[in-house]
Amino acid sequence: MSMRGLTVFIADIRNCRVRELEEKRINKEMANIRTKFKEGSLSGYDKKKYVCKLLYMYILGWDIDFGHMEAVGLISSTKYSEKQIGYLGITLLMHENSDLVRLVVNSIRKDLEDNNEIHNCLALHAIANIGGREMAESLAGDVHRLLVSPNSKSFVKKKAALTMLRLFRKHPDVIPAPDWAERITNIIDDYDLGVCLSVTSLVTALAQQYPESFMMAIPKAIMRLHKVIVERDFSADYVYYKIPIPWLQVKLLRLLQYFPPTEDPNMAEMLHNVLQTIINNSLETPRNVQHNNAQNAILFEAINLAIHLDCESDIVRQATTILARFILSKETNVRYLGLETMAHLAAVTDELDEIKKHEETIILSLRDKDISVRRRGLDLLYSMCDVSNAKTIVSELIRYLHIADYALREEMVLKIAIMTEKYATEHSWYVDVILQLISSAGDHVGEEVWYRVVQIVTNHENLQEYSAKMVLHYMRSPHCHENMLKVGGYILGEYGHLIANLPGCSPIEQFNTLHARFGLCSLATRALLLSTYIKFVNLFPEIKGAILAVFNQYRHVLDAELQQRACEYMAIATMPTDDLLQTVCEEMPQFPERESALLSRLNEKTGQTEDKRTWNIGGKDSNEKTPANLLAAKERNENGSVDDLVAGVSNASLGTTAGGEGEDGSAASAANGGASSTPAASSAASASSKPAGLSWKDQLAPGSEKWYNRLRDGSDGVLYEDSILQIGIKSEYHGHLGRLAMYFGNKTHTQLGSFTVTVDSPEGLVVASSHTLATSIGPSTQIQQLYSLECQQIVTEVPMIRISYHAGSTQSIYLRLPVTLTRFIEPIQLSSADFFARWKQIGGPPREVQEVIKVAPDRIDLEKARSILVNNRLGICENVDPKPGNFVATGVFNTSMSGKVGCLLRLEPNKETDMYRLTVRTTSDVVSKHLKEILQTALLYNPNHTR
Amino acid sequence: MTINYVLLVSRQGKTRLAKWFTTMSPKEKTKIIKDVTQLVLARRTKMCNFLEYKDTKVIYRRYASLYFITGVGTQDNELLTLEIIHRYVEVLDRYFGNVCELDLIFNFQRAYFILDELLIAGEMQESSKVTVLQAIHDQDATEVDEANEEKNK
Repeated sequence: MSMRGLTVFIADIRNCRVRELEEKRINKEMANIRTKFKEGSLSGYDKKKYVCKLLYMYILGWDIDFGHMEAVGLISSTKYSEKQIGYLGITLLMHENSDLVRLVVNSIRKDLEDNNEIHNCLALHAIANIGGREMAESLAGDVHRLLVSPNSKSFVKKKAALTMLRLFRKHPDVIPAPDWAERITNIIDDYDLGVCLSVTSLVTALAQQYPESFMMAIPKAIMRLHKVIVERDFSADYVYYKIPIPWLQVKLLRLLQYFPPTEDPNMAEMLHNVLQTIINNSLETPRNVQHNNAQNAILFEAINLAIHLDCESDIVRQATTILARFILSKETNVRYLGLETMAHLAAVTDELDEIKKHEETIILSLRDKDISVRRRGLDLLYSMCDVSNAKTIVSELIRYLHIADYALREEMVLKIAIMTEKYATEHSWYVDVILQLISSAGDHVGEEVWYRVVQIVTNHENLQEYSAKMVLHYMRSPHCHENMLKVGGYILGEYGHLIANLPGCSPIEQFNTLHARFGLCSLATRALLLSTYIKFVNLFPEIKGAILAVFNQYRHVLDAELQQRACEYMAIATMPTDDLLQTVCEEMPQFPERESALLSRLNEKTGQTEDKRTWNIGGKDSNEKTPANLLAAKERNENGSVDDLVAGVSNASLGTTAGGEGEDGSAASAANGGASSTPAASSAASASSKPAGLSWKDQLAPGSEKWYNRLRDGSDGVLYEDSILQIGIKSEYHGHLGRLAMYFGNKTHTQLGSFTVTVDSPEGLVVASSHTLATSIGPSTQIQQLYSLECQQIVTEVPMIRISYHAGSTQSIYLRLPVTLTRFIEPIQLSSADFFARWKQIGGPPREVQEVIKVAPDRIDLEKARSILVNNRLGICENVDPKPGNFVATGVFNTSMSGKVGCLLRLEPNKETDMYRLTVRTTSDVVSKHLKEILQTALLYNPNHTR
Repeated sequence: MTINYVLLVSRQGKTRLAKWFTTMSPKEKTKIIKDVTQLVLARRTKMCNFLEYKDTKVIYRRYASLYFITGVGTQDNELLTLEIIHRYVEVLDRYFGNVCELDLIFNFQRAYFILDELLIAGEMQESSKVTVLQAIHDQDATEVDEANEEKNK
């Protein structure tokens, strides 16, 4: 609805041809509005109109220091149009720390709780715009409720997700993100792509802070990408110039870059398909600019992800070819992004050869018309620099430095200095380059650069003579920069004597060279030179006279620092003996090795909740601290320690399977392994799917023990059932391998959404899903999930699974899977002689474990005992024990990595005393103990008394 | 992928809309508007749509007499930010019917409301043109209903 008064006012302002007229008109209007507001009793419409006028003046850049209260008043209006302007007013005029925030918090809460969704939306916008601490503390809970409530409409959810994101960015401590992780992450599956987009933004921010709590976002993101890109399942509304929701695609691709690569082979395969499809799609010729941009945006993000996953993969090789084409493109945007992405690749890969082929093109990009492109070219050259091409690149950069933009020079100097230091093979080259740099771009040489030269020269004896010679040479050129004088002053003061016998380098000539420019330089440099002179007095007594004259002259200078130095140095130099002089001017000790100040200057810090960089410009070593790498390193540590204790095999092998570089993995884990004393229940293969910090055992679904015990004998049947879900399992085993099928039946008449199954397998047992599970179960439908099992080492625990789904609210069920150690036993039959021979061979404790088991009266049941042994896959050897009724059973427990374990046992029932005597001997004490426990539990178990 | 601000600036350097997604003092805002406007207006047509300003990237595109300018972090996807701008322009165009600078001057509050439907907290909240326009039309319909009620009283 238009407001006539406002339109007239805007038109008036537009007619003001000069600024003075505009100011006059503005002042008049402000005075008018002030009076109106003072008079009070304005109608809602008038209030709205005046606030709008104020806002217009505000946008034009005029200061508005009143009208806030009127805007606050409009918020509590019952009319939407007035409310809306009120909210616009406070979001534009109000600062987050304004005292007025307190006044609006209550109105906002009322609107959040309103049944009318468009009022909810206005309130959410306001929170997202102002987002002060007070608002965050009092309203975060309401925002969360709107986000996860099943009753929220999609358009409210979207806004709630991003509002929460804003609150988290500003006040991370207010949002209990790990507690909310699961419900929030599940919304990635939402049918509405807009909701999915908003929530992915939120998850991306939260996951950077709490990567472990958000691990389950990995499969969700991959599946969603697969759905949109490979299965092409999306609503037509979301197609942007032929590309389905490019923003979501890019978001998801980015999200995955904050996690280490997935270890689930199916997920990895799906993701590979996604990336390959994106690469293939990029070959299509775009119709127009928009199509082209969207397509390339996705392509570049996909390449970044591919580089993150494995920079030597086939996909990356294909990408390199595409990038090579891009950096030659006629379109500036594409050249820019091509260079940027190539810099990413160069920053992480060992394989620079492919990139080096394009060195010429890249060097040419330094001469591009556009400074944005030139910067990217510089970054790329810096990233791709190594020992082999450092000389070419550095000399190109120095040549370019003379014509480079002023804005770029300081950065260039810094980068040249770093590259030279890093890749120098000859010391003289290093000195040459740095001195050349200082002489040609002195103004842009930061303090760090010349400090560093001094450090390096001091620490390398073989450089000292050469640098002294060269610096003297440079100082004689007509345009000697002051920074050169500083370097020269320091180096000659320390090492001038090394060259004193060369022609043109005599002490007095050195002194004259320095002193010729003394009068022209800053006070700080003069102070430094005075120190050089006192060193000269010590090194070259023959020129003492000339130097004392200088000191004498400066004893009366105004500057306190110079005066003090001159006086003190004068005093030292004119002492009767040279003892003190010699002590004071002793040669400088070497500098302790420390991180180059240059590098720390380059790696700027990022704020706590800002999106972190997924890579840094520069070589490989600058990329070891990216978020995903840190996480991977942490995992390596955990795995390493487990490995250390239980199997005692080399750490390096496991470190590599966890997806990182073996070297630092083993180093870190060796340190960790010694300290840790309890084996964590994670294995290399399952680490990624295990949410940390959850003690699943405490959360077992009530009543699930009953079903678990029934299935413990290895039969097929129901594992869990409630009014919504029924879960059944079927399994078969062979040697150290097994297959397990789980059936999930939805008993209700509505769809179960966000369906997720997570398996937490114990150390030594690998449980892998053999295909990906659907994310939802239709009404009254059953779906099946297959798992393959591999027993790698002796397992003493059973796997746990967690099933979660969304039906009104999010439900989670924790269950144990009846996959005990005995599943991997193969029964064998032994003759009496063989049995006893081995029985003796194994011998007594610790490899023998014996237990007398007392059962309830008259519960000795020979048939039951026999079936327990058979069900636990032991072979019953008949006629071995002379006493009928006693059992002798044997089997071989198989593992793929720790070999086989022979298992022998005797079970002697005694009906008179209601006792069994169980004696187990195996070739491993761990297995003996555990096998005994399994059988004992089974013998004691009474299905009629459910515990 | 956070947008820090959206500016609409005329070729003469007049601000037509300024929306901030991060907290900044009025002084900082004024400085950014001034600096960025200057940088963008100086760029020539064939140059790329990205440039650096301090530690941020500026992504802009010119539509007739108006520059649409956004400030983003250095890690953000440049091309897609460019397309967020385009989507905004498309929605404005559809809503006003062949939008021109004058529409945005006289209906600046609408321009803000439409932007609110596309972006919250500097993130894309909705990329579907249909859905955004529907949301705006719903708002308008509510206003019309209120106005009619007023008349019938």
